[in-house]
Amino acid sequence: MARSNEVSINESKQMVVPLNTWVLISNFKLAYNLLRRPDGTFNRHLAEFLDRKVAANANPVDRVFSFDVIVDRATNLLCRIYRPSDTDDPPNVADLEKPVKSESSHTVPVIVFFHGGSFAHSSANSAIYDTLCRRLVGLCKAVVVSVNYRRAPEHRYPCAYDDGWTVLNWVKSRTWLESKDSKVHIFLAGDSSGGNIAHHVALKAAESESGIEVLGNILLNPMFGGELRTESEKRLDGKYFVSVQDRDWYWRAFLPDGADRDHPACNPFGPKAASLVGVKFPKSLVVVAGLDLVQDWQMAYVEGLKEAGQQVKDLYLEKATIGFYLLPNNAHFHTVMDEIKKFVGSIC
Amino acid sequence: MDELLAVLGYKVRSSDMADVAQKLEQLEMAMGTAQDDGISHLACDTIHYNPSDLSGWVDSMLSVLHNNSHSAGGNGGGGGSSSISSMDFSTPTQSHKSAVFRDDSEYDLRAIPGVAAYPQADESDKDSCRKRMKTSAGGSSNSAEPTRPVVLIDSQEAGVRLVHTLLACAEAVQQDNVKLADALVKHTGLLAASQTGAMRKVATYFAEALARRIYKIYPQDCLDPSYSDTLEMHFYETCPYLKFAHFTANQAILEAFATANRVHVIDFGLKQGMQWPALMQALALRPGGPPAFRLTGIGPPQPNNTDNLQQVGWKLAHLAETIGVEFEFRGFVANSLADLEPEMLDLRPADVEAVAVNSVFELHRLLGRSAGMDKVLSTIKAMKPKIVTVVEQEANHNGPVFVDRFTEALHYYSSLFDSLEGSAASPSSPTTASQDLVMSELYLGRQICNVVACEGGDRVERHETLTQWRARMESAGFDPVHLGSNAYKQASMLLALFAGGDGYRVEENNGALMLGWHTRPLIATSAWQLAR
Repeated sequence: MARSNEVSINESKQMVVPLNTWVLISNFKLAYNLLRRPDGTFNRHLAEFLDRKVAANANPVDRVFSFDVIVDRATNLLCRIYRPSDTDDPPNVADLEKPVKSESSHTVPVIVFFHGGSFAHSSANSAIYDTLCRRLVGLCKAVVVSVNYRRAPEHRYPCAYDDGWTVLNWVKSRTWLESKDSKVHIFLAGDSSGGNIAHHVALKAAESESGIEVLGNILLNPMFGGELRTESEKRLDGKYFVSVQDRDWYWRAFLPDGADRDHPACNPFGPKAASLVGVKFPKSLVVVAGLDLVQDWQMAYVEGLKEAGQQVKDLYLEKATIGFYLLPNNAHFHTVMDEIKKFVGSIC
Repeated sequence: MDELLAVLGYKVRSSDMADVAQKLEQLEMAMGTAQDDGISHLACDTIHYNPSDLSGWVDSMLSVLHNNSHSAGGNGGGGGSSSISSMDFSTPTQSHKSAVFRDDSEYDLRAIPGVAAYPQADESDKDSCRKRMKTSAGGSSNSAEPTRPVVLIDSQEAGVRLVHTLLACAEAVQQDNVKLADALVKHTGLLAASQTGAMRKVATYFAEALARRIYKIYPQDCLDPSYSDTLEMHFYETCPYLKFAHFTANQAILEAFATANRVHVIDFGLKQGMQWPALMQALALRPGGPPAFRLTGIGPPQPNNTDNLQQVGWKLAHLAETIGVEFEFRGFVANSLADLEPEMLDLRPADVEAVAVNSVFELHRLLGRSAGMDKVLSTIKAMKPKIVTVVEQEANHNGPVFVDRFTEALHYYSSLFDSLEGSAASPSSPTTASQDLVMSELYLGRQICNVVACEGGDRVERHETLTQWRARMESAGFDPVHLGSNAYKQASMLLALFAGGDGYRVEENNGALMLGWHTRPLIATSAWQLAR
């Protein structure tokens, strides 16, 4: 594009964000304002109508193809699987679940991805997340499994976590996802509420006797909170697309009736949470956007992991807002993609 | 178009970006000044059109909120099933599509609220709205690359082998390797027997179709049409596809007929006329009274000279009488839609009578004859319709390469059959339910046979995708009419009535609505008008 994309929208904000990113996220913000009702109900029909979705595509596009799988009929749990392709030719459709080890002598990471949306919005087939997952395939030479988990307020805690757990077990048991060493190399990843889900599914895996090993967690702007109002929440309330009020709404919609924000789902290192000391928890990469009002909770999460003796790397991006990773038009995007690639590569 | 946003499903011209950004800011301020609990209440009762057109969406939201802040009267109170907050429709800059209504009514197939229920008399608004829709349509660029949406239902080992064998057989058929094809088709039979459920049935139908193709035993074309009508009625009962088709088409027709006093629907495939009672009842409920309703039903010749069309016409006339709608019916027997001439239809001037042309799973049949489609499209234009509703299967079963067609069809019908497994009819009468199911499967099985075993003029099931139909309609001189969030919502609610219907999904696609099984779209409804 000939014109510069870096424009300050409003003098009082002095924000430097690419114009199209600003339009994208603002549109989401305003549309989402319409969908949340003060009584805690959600306009699901309008939400689905407005959400831009894409179909799976078994024909490779930029060397990535996708297909959907029904993992659990009882809950209609669906996943979208993204696989790399060596060619641009459409794969034999009967070969969609061809063993990954037949295609690569290297270890193939399998990234189980949980899309964001504050537990209420978006789906695995939302265009923004379909695009992001495709990028991850090429970036990490991975198979990505995007989970279409059940959302709030229709399905509260622990539904999303249960769905994540179901998919984790499903992935572990797919022989076609095994690398040459006959093991499935699993990572969990997610943004916003998806990051929160990744944490809790990893925790369940670590605490259960399942023997499922999660090699790494990648959390982008993970959604955490607590009863306390932190400094960043006060400072950034309503300034960069997100408000404390809307965060509160989503937690009320997700958490069980009567729970407050110190519930361990929301506040994993809070007063009601169990200790992670001694738990065989995966190595974590936590990306924090400096203009995200939730950052104090995210940094507290990082500290909590460290204090529990867990391995964690945090990446703090001072001038990033929420959703910066949705469009490849800013430096933060590329920084994060590189970090993710390094993180997965260092483990796999 | 901004490429980055286009990938994410939003069509915004780069040159409009700053303008859209500014309007988003305005919208935010307008939403902020609306009462605290007023936003979700007001704005989500608005009917939205084509969310991909961000610029248009923001404009319509702004006009809704500005109108509401200027409303003279109060909101339409608590009680009553249909009330409206007063709005000033007469200003030309507003879009008449942003009607605000209170949708308290329980879902009711007979009463379809929306713009149709609150006709807006000012013509100039419609013009400005049409122009707005036209620019958004003009911006759409359809990729020529076909997409292959696949939903794997069954990832068992045997299922995979079965699919492999079927595909290998299709390949052998394409290469005229009769010996190999013969061996493979038999092997498929064995494998299919070891399967259960939808996969077994689908595989059986496809194997049978392959066998017919190999041994050149073509199915009897055009069996007794009343038999196929019967099968279709069972299909109508078993699953929501036809209901969705009728419902969404009717919604578009109702909105197009909003201010007309005399209306004429031309149905390209009357069959048992199942689409029309609901429309007639909705027309009867129109405030200010129903229009005079004329229906022209087209159908194929009947073998034993029974006049099926007239019988359907009589039934509908009887209904019309009971609900107080002035009704006129005409039946037309035609071997093909291409035989139709506008003069035959006794069309009245456009300012006297509004015309709707309705085609549910009929247009694709014309693709086997050269020039058939062109003829029909120009005939439609000569009818000067206010709206043309088209419902078609969302699949490309008309490609030139046999194996590709076969593969497409295999995935399409697998999803379709899988959805049938889930949605058995009333559990109170399991015999009827399983009977309906078998008939529905037979109905679909005949389509499978036609797609796989037939060629040339015999192959009538030439399904094409919405993208392909869009290109065809647009180059023939039609503009899209966007189906809105209201139709979407009601279609979604319709689906919720279906037991085992959890897997059904309604999707909005650039103004068209698609019904699918999980993430696989299976049928698409689009609406059209003459290009200006």
